[in-house]
Amino acid sequence: MSSDHDLKKTMAAKGEPFVWLTAMGLSVGLLMVAGLLGIIIANGVPVFWPDRVVQLTLKPGISSPVPGGGSEIVGELVQKRVKRIPILGADGSPAADQTEIQVFVGNKDAYAINFAFANQVDIAAESFPPDIYRFERLEYGIAFGYPRAIKLPDGSSIPATSPDFPRLLAELTNEATDRRHQIEFIEKREIGAINSRLTELRVKKGTTDTAAELASLDADYQRLAAEARTLRQQQAATVLVYGTPTGLERTLAIGDLVAYTQPNLLTLPQQAGLFLHNIWNFLTLEPREANTEGGIFPAIFGTFVMTLLMSLAVVPFGVVAAIYLREYAHQGFFVRCVRIAVNNLAGVPSIVFGVFGLGFFVYFVGASIDGWFFNEYLPTPTFGTGGIFWAALTLALMTVPVVIVATEEAMAAVPRGMREGSLSCGASKWQTIQRIVLPASLPGILTGLILAMARGAGEVAPLMLVGVVKLAPSLPIDGSFPFVHLERKFMHLGFHIYDLGFQSPDSEAAKPMVFATTLLLIALVVVLNLAAILIREKLRKKYATGAF
Amino acid sequence: MPTPLPDHARDESRFQTAKTTLFVDRFMTVFIKFGGALVITSVLGIFVFILLQIWPLFAPARVTALKSVNLPERKFALLGMDEWGAKPFLLETNGRMLTVDADSGAVSEVEIPLGEAQGTPITAAALNKREQKIILGTADGRFVIVAPGYSSSEQNGVQSIAINPKAEPPVAIGLPGVPIVDVAYGDSGTSKLVVALQSDGEKTQLTASLFKRKRALMGRSKEEAAGSFDLTALVPGRPDKILVPGTGDSVVVLTESGSVCYLALVGEAFEVRQVFKPFEDLPEAHINAAAFIFGDVSISFASDSGANRVFSLYYPPGGSKRTFGLTHEFPPLEVSPVFLVSTLRNKAFLLGGGGDLSLRYSTTDSIRWQERMPYRVANAVISGKYHRLAVLDEENRLHFFAIHDPHADSGWKALFGKIWYEGASEPKWEWQSTGGSDDFEPKYSLVPLIFGTLKGTLYAMVFAVPIALLAALYTSQFLDPRFRSVVKPTMEIMASLPSVVLGFLAAIYVAPLIERQVPSLLLCVAGVPLVAAVIGFVWSRLPIRFRKLIPPGWEWIVFLPVLLCAGSLLWSLGPLFEAVAFVVTDPATGQKTADFRAWWPAATGASFDQRNSLVVGFMMGFAVIPIIFTIAEDALSNVPTPLITASMACGASRWQTALRVVLPTASAGIFSALMIGLGRAVGETMIVVMATGNTPIMEWNIFSGMRTLSANIAVELPEAPHHGTLYRTLFLGAMVLFLLTFAVNTVAEILRHRLRERFKTI
Repeated sequence: MSSDHDLKKTMAAKGEPFVWLTAMGLSVGLLMVAGLLGIIIANGVPVFWPDRVVQLTLKPGISSPVPGGGSEIVGELVQKRVKRIPILGADGSPAADQTEIQVFVGNKDAYAINFAFANQVDIAAESFPPDIYRFERLEYGIAFGYPRAIKLPDGSSIPATSPDFPRLLAELTNEATDRRHQIEFIEKREIGAINSRLTELRVKKGTTDTAAELASLDADYQRLAAEARTLRQQQAATVLVYGTPTGLERTLAIGDLVAYTQPNLLTLPQQAGLFLHNIWNFLTLEPREANTEGGIFPAIFGTFVMTLLMSLAVVPFGVVAAIYLREYAHQGFFVRCVRIAVNNLAGVPSIVFGVFGLGFFVYFVGASIDGWFFNEYLPTPTFGTGGIFWAALTLALMTVPVVIVATEEAMAAVPRGMREGSLSCGASKWQTIQRIVLPASLPGILTGLILAMARGAGEVAPLMLVGVVKLAPSLPIDGSFPFVHLERKFMHLGFHIYDLGFQSPDSEAAKPMVFATTLLLIALVVVLNLAAILIREKLRKKYATGAF
Repeated sequence: MPTPLPDHARDESRFQTAKTTLFVDRFMTVFIKFGGALVITSVLGIFVFILLQIWPLFAPARVTALKSVNLPERKFALLGMDEWGAKPFLLETNGRMLTVDADSGAVSEVEIPLGEAQGTPITAAALNKREQKIILGTADGRFVIVAPGYSSSEQNGVQSIAINPKAEPPVAIGLPGVPIVDVAYGDSGTSKLVVALQSDGEKTQLTASLFKRKRALMGRSKEEAAGSFDLTALVPGRPDKILVPGTGDSVVVLTESGSVCYLALVGEAFEVRQVFKPFEDLPEAHINAAAFIFGDVSISFASDSGANRVFSLYYPPGGSKRTFGLTHEFPPLEVSPVFLVSTLRNKAFLLGGGGDLSLRYSTTDSIRWQERMPYRVANAVISGKYHRLAVLDEENRLHFFAIHDPHADSGWKALFGKIWYEGASEPKWEWQSTGGSDDFEPKYSLVPLIFGTLKGTLYAMVFAVPIALLAALYTSQFLDPRFRSVVKPTMEIMASLPSVVLGFLAAIYVAPLIERQVPSLLLCVAGVPLVAAVIGFVWSRLPIRFRKLIPPGWEWIVFLPVLLCAGSLLWSLGPLFEAVAFVVTDPATGQKTADFRAWWPAATGASFDQRNSLVVGFMMGFAVIPIIFTIAEDALSNVPTPLITASMACGASRWQTALRVVLPTASAGIFSALMIGLGRAVGETMIVVMATGNTPIMEWNIFSGMRTLSANIAVELPEAPHHGTLYRTLFLGAMVLFLLTFAVNTVAEILRHRLRERFKTI
């Protein structure tokens, strides 16, 4: 009996509890990834879903934090959070927790606040007013309210009770949107083109024909400005009169109304439609209201162009360097040292590359270019200041080790037999590289490039030094000559997050926007990385089953 | 009969390689060799470029002789210079001014309109650098304040400097008719303090006259006398020299015996605040020369024997009034000094005596430049911009020099040493690059930043290393191989998360969460591993029929829900824990508060910030864990299988094999994983910028922030003037980061290489 017991004891493998402990390490790591992605998705996706507007009635005796709100708070529910009261009773017993409700009340112009807080215990009733409107405005953000009338330019007024009202409001809003696009086109494109031509002429003053051209440009400008002025007057001529939930009567020029919904009357399909519509707007519109409203198209575009430029720079250089190291350089101590050095450059902090980019590209190369080619514009720097080209080059320098290492690895993995086969058929060294080695290592190069792009797209610290801005007036590629403007400053998704989350005047109001941007950036980076991982896996399998 | 060869086979050239092929091959060889070497050189050139940028920080001052001008044989009372250094003046005792053009060497003469005092011999003169004015003391006991009236005009790109001296009306001071032997004044804008030393051989009197100026809304403000004070009795010994700071509220009197008497105007009377002897310990205590250093808080003294010390005003420990104390000591000048002049740009001063000139920087105790001249120096003046120097020798020759010293306040000592800054009560390492006032002195010590970097790295590693290594060990040794293709990419995804996202989450989400729930977090940190160990222990004691329910390599799946449950349970127990363990009682009201945020400062005396090292450590974990995990996992799973199977065959359990065979074999690889993780933590920028307060403090307190080298660059470089000291210092910070990570990574790389070689032989 006892020997059996002993045997059982010894059969229990030694150290099993420690194995469990190590399992915990993995679980914690995976939970961290899942938790982080979960937080971003949970906060980022609901930003686009149309919320219902809730009306909270507070208990008698408790006044609303909304100015003039009586005992009611109307708005969108943001969150409920538990507020702990740290004060202990005399016997050391903790006080009961309180639940606090945060409501987005909008109407910043009327209330001067965006959010109102109320304790759960103070709430007597909760309802959803069916006929409330949610107006998205050009300025001051969202307004909640009840429309009362539309005042037309001819002085007549159509009350909200009229059966024509909904149709009229929809028509007027559409017209206003069209006019806004027209104004934008006139002011940004046409007047912008005139302005840039004027700057050029001013620089080259003294030539004979400039006076005539200046006059014609001025005439054009006057005509366009007048056109824009008329449109603006039309935008302001029709006015929507609405009452805030607190009973104030406010007016809103129809030109300032971007969109409106009746959130409490939406059906599920309508909500889903709006959800998609919001996502679309987010991806394609330009930011408004210090970047807290509107979309992030310029940031997406800036990130895209910068990453593209970086890839164009990084691939040829990285591949040439890798071919040199692997195929041409004499494999000795020196090359081994260089290889280690290049490898380690990938681990040098990105900010160091930013510092180098600022010192070398911007202040040294950029200033020299300005001195040679843009002398007439000085002291206003053209290339001697941060810009998308310098940012791309800086990131290219930062990621070139990644590409070199990946390419080298891929080339090393090309079986010796393939090379020798090619050489023995009479191919020259370059022909072998060109026709055999490079095609075989293409997936590896691609992996390196994708990893470099993922790193470049997500990097912010060096960009802050070499040309990223919170709001760029124009895109780096547009319709005005020479179409690609390498010297322009640009917007970037990562910097957008930093700027919105930290430099924004109203960071609470910017929160949804930041989470949405974060979601997009994470999605981009994760997709790129997954692609790289998949290609690598495929690559491994291909050579694992290779007959050589 | 062999078949005849086909035509093309008889072509002689068929074994010859096509010319184009050869050409392309040769071209590509050159192209790739050249291009590849170029790319690699330029990538490594980063290092050289940054080095070139920081080099001037350590360069000494460059002083070059420009021109020497012979002056007429006269007696000069004073030497002064305009801010451009183009037209110094020399004041004669008869009230005339000689100006010397620095470019042409032309000497011209100007008469100062002294009004009533015209013709009276001038017996004393002093420069007030801050006001750019001169004060003259006459033989009949009056003083006159003179503005040299420099003006600059530009014509055809050539700057010309004109001088047009204007004198204020002479004012009588102290004993009427007794010659003034030394005079000085300070002007704060609202009050002006003129101090004069009079002596006629028998009588000596030290008088201070105070003038108040009411700010008029319109036009010129009026100045009126607000009292005259006889200070003679307050000074122990015979007064020798007077210094008045720009604040106009105190006087520093040097006596012939080498004492310094610091008198302060308190209310309506002067009082002796301090009497000290700067060179008390030396055999010859007499003070030969003394001058306020820019800012008028420090005085540099030079003794007869050439010793040179700087005394600054500061609050001594426990004291409530600022007194002078020795803050800087310089190597002595070999000859007896005759003059000591300061600049208006920085804390530099020039000490001269015999043939020696020595340009010194008080803050950093450094001699910027020192040289022996072939003539005996008598006086000197430095231009307001600290770029020109004029030296008068005893043969009445004026020598011009150009000073090139753009980074006088930098150097090894300033960047890495403890520095006694003005106003501080002890030497400190300090980083403060910008300040509010004009005479603010930037402080560029990299030590707090390096400290902050190490602090952030340490907390990140403390959190990340256990998780990463445990996970790597489990994944490589125990995990069911089917899961590996999922687990590894998932962890790698973590590595690719942009750091701006991590920083943003840290600041917006994690920091407020942790701030309210520190006890919960403590419980989780302690409790989760405990739960894991207990479960493991209990599990291993269960009979085999239960144990086989979970196949080996599946433990982590069991853990996911268990950990979630245990974690959330512990998390919600936090407030209870807080109510028990972290209670602060308000001594005034007796109110008990269970709040860790209040408890921590009360219990440890250290501060509690919302954005602290704990948050940074946690968030940096996201960046560091996957890196350590991936590399360590590679090293562990590359351990040759024969070793493992042999161990197993000898009867070792999987844990024993992992611990005794796999871990030691892969230890170099694990170490290199840690090093590379360290490198990443050291250079991490955005997380630190966003999740800490970026305060350059030096304390290990986990609940306070820090400022790291990388965050410092990100915060300050966009605003730093090109090629300024701050700009170069930030480059130096980048260089330190570069070297740190490069060294760490190289060590790691070499270790990994060794390991690979070792595995090859097994």
